[in-house]
Amino acid sequence: MNGTAAEPQQGSALRRWTHRLVESSDLGMAPVIAALILIWIIFEALNSNFLTPRNLSNLSAQIVVTGTLALAETFVILLGMIDLSIGWSSVVAASVFAVGTVFFQWPLWLCVILGIGSSVVIGFLQGLLVSRIGVPSFVVSLGGAMIAEGLTLAMLTQHGGSVPLSDDLSTAIGTLNLPSGWSWGVTAVLFLAYAGVTLMRHADRRRRGAGEAHTIVFAKLAFTLAVLVIGVGLLCAYQGVPVLLIIFLAALFASAILTKSMQFGRHLYAVGGNAEAARRAGINVRFVQLAAFTIAGALVGLGGLLDGARLGVASATVGDSDIMLNAVAAAVIGGTSLFGGRGSVYGAFFGALVIASVSNGMDLIGAPSSVRFGVEGVILLAAITIDTLLRQKRMRSGRA
Amino acid sequence: MEPSSGQELLKVQHLHKKYGAVIALRDVSFTVQRGEIVALLGDNGAGKSTTIKAISGAAPADSGQIFLDGHEVTIRRPADANALGIQTVYQDLALCDNLGICANLFLGRELVSRPLGFGPGLLREVDMEEEGRRVLKTLRVNLPSLDTPVAALSGGQRQAVAIARAVLWGTKLVIMDEPTAALGVAQTAEVLRLVRDLAAHGFGVILITHNMQNVFEVADKVVVLRLGETVLEGRKKDLTPEDVVSCITGSRTTIGGMA
Repeated sequence: MNGTAAEPQQGSALRRWTHRLVESSDLGMAPVIAALILIWIIFEALNSNFLTPRNLSNLSAQIVVTGTLALAETFVILLGMIDLSIGWSSVVAASVFAVGTVFFQWPLWLCVILGIGSSVVIGFLQGLLVSRIGVPSFVVSLGGAMIAEGLTLAMLTQHGGSVPLSDDLSTAIGTLNLPSGWSWGVTAVLFLAYAGVTLMRHADRRRRGAGEAHTIVFAKLAFTLAVLVIGVGLLCAYQGVPVLLIIFLAALFASAILTKSMQFGRHLYAVGGNAEAARRAGINVRFVQLAAFTIAGALVGLGGLLDGARLGVASATVGDSDIMLNAVAAAVIGGTSLFGGRGSVYGAFFGALVIASVSNGMDLIGAPSSVRFGVEGVILLAAITIDTLLRQKRMRSGRA
Repeated sequence: MEPSSGQELLKVQHLHKKYGAVIALRDVSFTVQRGEIVALLGDNGAGKSTTIKAISGAAPADSGQIFLDGHEVTIRRPADANALGIQTVYQDLALCDNLGICANLFLGRELVSRPLGFGPGLLREVDMEEEGRRVLKTLRVNLPSLDTPVAALSGGQRQAVAIARAVLWGTKLVIMDEPTAALGVAQTAEVLRLVRDLAAHGFGVILITHNMQNVFEVADKVVVLRLGETVLEGRKKDLTPEDVVSCITGSRTTIGGMA
C-alpha cells in the first residue's frame, strides 16, 4: 500500500496528472475538446467563413437548445439510466407557453411556470415509475414520449400544428444580444468571483498541508480565463453575447455547482457508480433517482421554452426532428458514460458544441443532410466506443 | 485513542435464527473484548454470515441477546448498528469506484455547510480531506492524493479505504468479511497489519476468514461455528491449527476419542 505503481514519486505535477488521468480510465473532457479542435480546423480549411465572429455567434445560439436538453439528459445518464422523452416533453413546455400567452393572454410569468412545470410533472411521474416500481427508464421514457406527443397534438392540432409566439419575453430572449460593455463587465465579475473562490480554497488546502501544486491551480485558472476572453471577444466582435447563450450558461453553471459542490451531486454520482454501495452507506437511492428525473424535467422545460423563443414558434414538428437524439448524442460525446456515474455537466456544453459545429459547418459548405447525419453518427459511435473500451479496461482490472 | 484492552465490548448470547423451515442459527454465543481480534470460523453454511448479519442489523436474529459494553441492545436495521458504533466491511467493500478516496470515506455522511440554514448542503471538501488524512495517518495507511478515484487503487489500497471508512464512523467494533480473500501476499500482510493496528487502538475486531494462516497470525481468540452452534471459543495460544480444523470439520470428537 506504500504508493506502489499507482503514483510515480518523481516527475512534474503535469506528468502525475496525466498518469492519473490514464490510470483512472476516466479521460474527462480531453477527447471531446480534441475532437472539437479537429472539427473546427477541418471546417475552417474547407470554408474560411467558419471561424468568423458572425458564424461563431450563430453557432453559440445553435448550441443552446441541444445543450440545455443534453444537460437534462446528463442528470439521468449519470444515474446509468436514459430519458427518451426529453424531445417531446420540451415541445409540451413550449406548447403550454404558447397556448397560454397567445390564446389565454395569461401573464408571462405564469406561462413560464406552467410551461416548465408541465415538463417537471412529466419528469417527476417518470421518476416515480423508475424509482418506486423499478421499471426500466428506457421503457418508461418511451411511453412518456408518446404521452407527451399526444399532449402536444391535443394542444396544437386545432391551431394548425404550430402557434407563432408574439410576446415580448420570447422575442427578446430569441433575438437580443448583451452589448459588449455589459458582456465584458459580467464576464470580469464572474471570473473574479470564480478565481477568488478557487484561490481561497486552494490556500485553505495548502495551509492544512495538502492540495495540488500551485502550477496546476494557476494553469486551470489561466485556461479558463483564456477561453472566456477568446469566446467573449469573438462574440463581441459581432453583436455581443446572445441572451439565449447566457441563459444556457447560467443553467450550466447552476448544474455544475449542484453536481460538483453539493451533497446531492455527490449522492447522484454515488448512485450512478454503485447503487448498492450507496444504499448501504445510507443514501436514499430512490429519492436521488426521483430528484434527478425531476431536475431533468425542469431543464427540459427550459430547453423547450428557449427553442420556442429561438424559432419564434411552438411547433409539433420540432418533436419529430432529431432534437432528442442530438441531446443524447451531445451528452455521450461530452464524455458522460451511459453506464452511469462518470462524466460531467460540462460535457453537455462541449458535446452540444461538437454537434452544432458539424451541422453548422456542413450547412456552410453546402453538404446535404445525408452527409451531415452520417458524420454525426460516426462521431457518436466513436464516443460510445471509447466509453465502452474504457469500461472494459476497468472491468479487466476488476474495478467496474 | 487510548488502548483500553481487556474490557468486554460485545457479548452475543444464544442467537437463534430460522429461514423458513431451515434453522440457520441454533445457539451462537461468544464475546469480544476491547482491543481483541476474534476470528469467526466455520464451514460453508455453518452460520458465520447469518451471525454477522444479526450483529450488523442486515438480518436480525429471531431470539437471543446482544450486549454492547454490558448493556443489552436491540439491532433491527443497519442504521441501529451504525449508531451503536458497529461497522461492517463487506467482502465486496461497497465502494463507489467512480468517486475519490475522500468521497468514499464520507459516503452518505458528508460534512456539509448550509449557508442559508436549511436546504441542500454544500460539501465541506477541505474539512473532509483533513479528517480523512488524519484517520489514514492514525492507521498508518499510505494512499495517493485523496481525490484519486478508487478505480485507480490496488486491491489492498481499496481494502484500506473500506477499513478506514469503518474506523472513521464506527468507534467500537469493526466486522470484516474475508478481507484478504482477493489479495496478494504483500497486500495481505499490509491488511493484517492494519487489523492489528485497529485492535491496538482499542477497537474490537471480528474477522471472518477461511485462511488458517491469517487466523494464527493475527487473532487473539478463535470462535468456531458448526451447524449454527458455537463449538469452540478459545484463546489462540491454547490452540493448534489442527484443533481448529477438526472443530470446523466436526471430527474433533473422533480425534478426542482416539487420544
